[in-house]
Amino acid sequence: MFAGTIVFALINSFILILMAIGFNLTFGISGVANFAYGALYIMSAYMSWTMLNLLHLPFWASAVLSIGFTMISGALMYRFVLLRVRGQALSEVIATFGIGLAILELFRYLGLVGFEYTLPVFSNESFMIAGAYVDIQRIAIVLIGLLLVLGLWLFTHFTATGLAFRAIAQDERTALTFGIDSDWAATLSVSFGAGLAAIAATIIIPLGSIAPDEGYDVLIKALAICIIGGLGSTGGVIVAGFIVGFAERFTDTYIGSHWTMIVSLAAILLVLAIKPSGLFGRQKELEERI
Amino acid sequence: MLDVNNLMVFFENALALNDFSMQVREGEIIGVIGSNSAGKTTLMNALSGLIIDMRIKEKRKGGERITVYGSIVYEGVDITELSPGARVKKGIVLSRERHPVFPESSVAENLKIAGYLRKKAEVREVMAYVFTLFPALVPLRAKKAGFLSGGEQQMLAIGMALVVRPRLLLLDEPLLGLSPMMQKALVNAIVSLNKESGITVVLSEQFARPVLPIIDRGYVLENGMLTLSGTGAELMDNPEIKAAYFGI
Repeated sequence: MFAGTIVFALINSFILILMAIGFNLTFGISGVANFAYGALYIMSAYMSWTMLNLLHLPFWASAVLSIGFTMISGALMYRFVLLRVRGQALSEVIATFGIGLAILELFRYLGLVGFEYTLPVFSNESFMIAGAYVDIQRIAIVLIGLLLVLGLWLFTHFTATGLAFRAIAQDERTALTFGIDSDWAATLSVSFGAGLAAIAATIIIPLGSIAPDEGYDVLIKALAICIIGGLGSTGGVIVAGFIVGFAERFTDTYIGSHWTMIVSLAAILLVLAIKPSGLFGRQKELEERI
Repeated sequence: MLDVNNLMVFFENALALNDFSMQVREGEIIGVIGSNSAGKTTLMNALSGLIIDMRIKEKRKGGERITVYGSIVYEGVDITELSPGARVKKGIVLSRERHPVFPESSVAENLKIAGYLRKKAEVREVMAYVFTLFPALVPLRAKKAGFLSGGEQQMLAIGMALVVRPRLLLLDEPLLGLSPMMQKALVNAIVSLNKESGITVVLSEQFARPVLPIIDRGYVLENGMLTLSGTGAELMDNPEIKAAYFGI
């Protein structure tokens, strides 16, 4: 049972990392806390579902198209709404949360709830790993999670756009003096964050079903992971994902499933009490040092 | 190369730069001398276009109104309303005051970030030149810029501006907070990049002593107003400059 718990804790950690990494990317680069993140996650799932079941497109095509459309929606949201309230954190939160509420409650109003609203799994086969049955979908989550983290690291370290993202994140005005357009970088950051939400939805939703409530859940989980890890830090998201992922599964197995929610909230409280900028809130520390 | 005509900059009702005019010819080193709050940084921001970006962002926030009157003409083209990015593409590059480096990135990465608009091969070439100009940076390549000393950060900041391949390099208080030794090293580097690469330099400074010997011409600013201008030698002999900046 112990080994099996570890396997499922690992999978759970990657689910949390996938859920949080897009929110973290957007916040890390442009400082926009995208509270419509959960809604974009659910919206992309409904888009995939529509294309699969009503337009009868193949799975890969609907997945790619819905990821693309979600990225475009993110960019449009920035250009037409967020740009006007840029730099006022509270207005940004209210605007994005309002958009998120509108999207999620629209889906609820349309009544798109039930077990038939789900996305297909990649394969129905499952493996025996360490005494536990693990299906292909969960293995895919771990692999795609690893690939995304690696890809993101390569992107931000070796491409001009990725380096520009990190420059904007550190000092916007200095980045401007090198010809990096801060509005364009922020548009891309919201768009990429939305795209990562859509990728997460495409591979995580098949484990359950699409429901508006899931949108709020994803947002809360993403926030929890980002706060524990230190907002804007990718390393922090990974470490926090593992801490909460393991803590949740172990409480589930050894204490009781009704305690799982308490564990992640307690983790937030504990981290905020000891280290208010999060585990890896490094930027602030360096500033204090100098 | 650059003509500034009757430039005026207001922050709300406060006049930061008052009816300022200057000419910069190709290949010159021009000094803008003035004490704190004289308007040096405002002038640099106006020349690099940062003020245009600040104006847009303040307007979005409903904050301070920034107004710019007058004109800035670069190689016969009026660039007064051009964005900072468009000016960088034309070859006007600013190195901001207080060692503007990206603290979380390594020295080599900082230089790569600065080369955002340039091709990879070009960036590599200029990086090699930067390391010959500032040999002290070579052993620090992989170190995070935030952990560098002030002087090393300033060298890196100038190196970053060079990676952009400027034709007109604007340096805002490059000697701020540096030891006399480091000031000397930097002044020598500025002279050699001007001579070797033919880059025109406009630098603002409050330490007149190390700067006056190297500049072709200088403008003295006081409370946003031009009070004196002339060649470096003329300014050095001026009794008012001697009293105000050399303490003689």
